[in-house]
Amino acid sequence: MSYTTFNQKTFDTLKQPMFFGETVNVARYDIQKHKIFENLIEKQLSFFWRPEEVDLANDRKDFIDLPEHEKHIFLSNLKYQTLLDSVQGRSPNVAFLPIVSLPELETWIETWSFSETIHSRSYTHIMRNVVPNPAEVFDDITRNDFITRRAVSVTKYYDELITKNSYYTQLGEGTHTINGKIVDINLRDLKRTLYLTMVSVNVLEAIRFYVSFACSFAFAERAKMEGNAKIIKLIARDEALHLTGTQHILQIMAAGKDDPEMGEIAASCKDEVREIFLDAAEQEKEWAGYLFKDGSMIGLNQTILAQYVEYITDQRIAAIGLPTIFDTKNNPLPWINSWLNSDNVQVAPQEAEISSYLVGAIDSAVDTEDFGDFDL
Amino acid sequence: MNQTIHNPRSDSQHSDNHQEDFILDGLASAEDAFNNNEFSLEADAVEVQLDHEPVQESLILNTEDPEQPEVSAQIDLAGMDKPVHIVSIHNGAEQAQAVPFQHAHTLLESLEAQDVPVHYQCREGYCGSCRTQLLEGEVHYTEEPMAWINDDEILPCCCIPKTAIRIKLP
Repeated sequence: MSYTTFNQKTFDTLKQPMFFGETVNVARYDIQKHKIFENLIEKQLSFFWRPEEVDLANDRKDFIDLPEHEKHIFLSNLKYQTLLDSVQGRSPNVAFLPIVSLPELETWIETWSFSETIHSRSYTHIMRNVVPNPAEVFDDITRNDFITRRAVSVTKYYDELITKNSYYTQLGEGTHTINGKIVDINLRDLKRTLYLTMVSVNVLEAIRFYVSFACSFAFAERAKMEGNAKIIKLIARDEALHLTGTQHILQIMAAGKDDPEMGEIAASCKDEVREIFLDAAEQEKEWAGYLFKDGSMIGLNQTILAQYVEYITDQRIAAIGLPTIFDTKNNPLPWINSWLNSDNVQVAPQEAEISSYLVGAIDSAVDTEDFGDFDL
Repeated sequence: MNQTIHNPRSDSQHSDNHQEDFILDGLASAEDAFNNNEFSLEADAVEVQLDHEPVQESLILNTEDPEQPEVSAQIDLAGMDKPVHIVSIHNGAEQAQAVPFQHAHTLLESLEAQDVPVHYQCREGYCGSCRTQLLEGEVHYTEEPMAWINDDEILPCCCIPKTAIRIKLP
């Protein structure tokens, strides 16, 4: 099966599975197999924002006054966020677009990736405003061992899927010898890799990101780096939507109605999924150790952050229908809720009250009742 | 010069009666609220009948600000009774806690107002943070939930109870 940018075949779009069916031809949304993706696109578009709209003048002053160990926490956290969004800004496109079979899902993946590029641009905006030499910070992302080690775990499933799929696209199923290496390619295995990749994406968005958000908001909770927190709030709003997207994809796959083979694969992968969640939680705890190596900050330390990792891991694994791992009950950082809620973030003055501010939205429905109090 | 501020409503029998018709949520007893189904957000226009022509010195003041009508926390849905339902919360082995649902736009708001902690983020149905298990009863969604919810789950941030419900918070 080779990839074509416009499939010439005539087929029933509604009969295609989400992935590994016919490649998409007409980008049409009049008929939809999974309406949820269209809803997600609409919502994401209504969220559009630009980092430049947030003023960071006070953050520069705040940063200069931070003690050294807190500067380390702030910058390391920002580096990690930059890494995560660098991955997310391109990987869904590269990995999922060649295998997607539904127009609404294809467009959701593109919309999703695009919003991640806004996040990446906002990190540059923050760096430019906060540190004298942003290049030093960015360059460290590929040099710092603690960061690169994490890059491996967030990208390995994506990379495996991309490699396997490129062999599958060129050579089809079967045992192939590529550069002297024997590679066995079959569609079922490819679907399995896709399922696990989707789980790792969900872990990235629903756990890893939230741990980094907790650090950003911990500064703002003390009235430091508040502009940064405003940007992170907007990013958190997008990520909440993205993780809903991946949760839907995973649940649709697991239900098996879309592709029965995918349902079987999901049922057989439960242990591995649990392992991916557990590994991510362990890595995040290890990261907390690195963040607070020179000292903790008021309101947040290694122990509390580790408890939050366990709490958020349980929340997310339960959301995809699997038993919890750590059996946590309460949120150790209850103040994070109000920071994660974006309704009180002011982007443009006219958006102060409602976050999903729709440009030119008017209520055009007129009912006779509307004239009830009219006297002539 | 003393100017008399004259409020036509306070000394007119007609408008006094009218004010009793208009029961603000929270002020009325629950029974009254049930019996009084003719609930309107704004008072009807009152025709003030004066025996004589208005005198120049009396300043007629509106009793309500037309720019800011009293907002009712209670939502009105066509064809539905105003919901005052018992929400029983079951958490593990603990004794069930019963809180009434009333005077709130969503179940989440009602729970928060009564000091029941619920995890939340978006408060409009797309993040799924408030996902809660519904053990018994029915809810009505005021907004279409976008987050994934299983058959036995609800999103308190965008629903109100239709009946008495039993829920299990995570």
